[in-house]
Amino acid sequence: MIHIKKFSYEPGEHEAEAASSSYLMSLIAIIVGVPLPIVNLIATLIFYLGNKKSTYFVRWHCTQALLSQLSMLFINSFGFWWTISILFTDETITSRYIAYVIAAIIFNLTEFVATIYTAIQTRKGIHIEWWFYGSLTNLICRSKS
Amino acid sequence: MRRIILQGLMTILLFFGTWYALTQIDWIKIFKVKQVTVKTEQKLGELFWEVFKKSEIEMNNAHVLHSIDSIVSHICKANKIDRGKLKVHVLNKEDINAFALPNGHLIIYSGLILNSDNQEELAGVISHEIAHIELNHVMKKLVKEIGLSVLISMTTGNSGTEVIKETAKMLSSSAFDRNLEKEADIKAVDYMLNANVNPEPFADFLYKLSETEHESTKYLTWISTHPDSKERAEYIIEYSKAKGTEFKPILTNETWGKLKITLKGME
Repeated sequence: MIHIKKFSYEPGEHEAEAASSSYLMSLIAIIVGVPLPIVNLIATLIFYLGNKKSTYFVRWHCTQALLSQLSMLFINSFGFWWTISILFTDETITSRYIAYVIAAIIFNLTEFVATIYTAIQTRKGIHIEWWFYGSLTNLICRSKS
Repeated sequence: MRRIILQGLMTILLFFGTWYALTQIDWIKIFKVKQVTVKTEQKLGELFWEVFKKSEIEMNNAHVLHSIDSIVSHICKANKIDRGKLKVHVLNKEDINAFALPNGHLIIYSGLILNSDNQEELAGVISHEIAHIELNHVMKKLVKEIGLSVLISMTTGNSGTEVIKETAKMLSSSAFDRNLEKEADIKAVDYMLNANVNPEPFADFLYKLSETEHESTKYLTWISTHPDSKERAEYIIEYSKAKGTEFKPILTNETWGKLKITLKGME
């Protein structure tokens, strides 16, 4: 799921710190974002936009952090509105709903752990590519040189 | 590019696969969701009924109770509804009202019986309230209006008596939302048709009482809290038209007449 790959160049201390922060940003946002799913996306989006002119390594990791939030946004938003409809409409708690919540928790936790791990590794200057999101980031984020 | 799409699809599939696998487990049973609801409903039914029992006068005239029981039992039998779970109470009050409380409590005011021109009108209103009970509308409304946490706190004695009184009052004097009312109306027509009771007088009842000139307007709780009575009467007629059956009265004319005389004497 997570691959350690060699980046096109050796990132500097400052770059590693900024790249790692992008994951930390999404980490904090996950905590707020579980009940309010849009928060994670906004937080990582702000960080992404703020680092748009940064170096390739920083941009790459900001993009990966942003993309990983997108899928969580779909999962959590659906769960969020489902919960709202149970609380405020005729919808009742079913086994399907509980199963969805558990599946969402599993995916959120996996992402949480992966984010912590990636934040630690990128801080050390190690380049980490996630399954699917890594390849997608390679497609979107290109080196300017 | 193909690899990315494949990986993306696999991620989506993994999520839905996990969800599907988890739906195979009966979580409701594991978390005892239903039991909590049933227990809460039982307790709430008792609490709210206590409020009315204390503030109103319950009728204990054998003829009144027997007549109402005949109507309720007839509707239940024809629709395979467990009569035992319904707790019917007739209160001596001039308001034209009937309403359902949690756990199958069905309250009928004497004013409703007195203002029904025939037994089919009364059977219609009773069927409508039974439909609310059977379709679990009472608990749905309570959860929606005041929230499950407040309801549970009521049952555990952490809520003041004022809150309980206010909620009980709300149940007796406000309608359900439009969709739930329509659902209960249609269900009531089904109940009546299955029980060979003509639903047309029920529609007439709505028409009649929606007229503001009606002498008993000031006591018209049931109608004033149920909006668009004319529209409701129309779809009841429309719905029942297609299903022609032979109609029979539940009570004999003598029993119905005696019921009204008895109630008038008690006013």
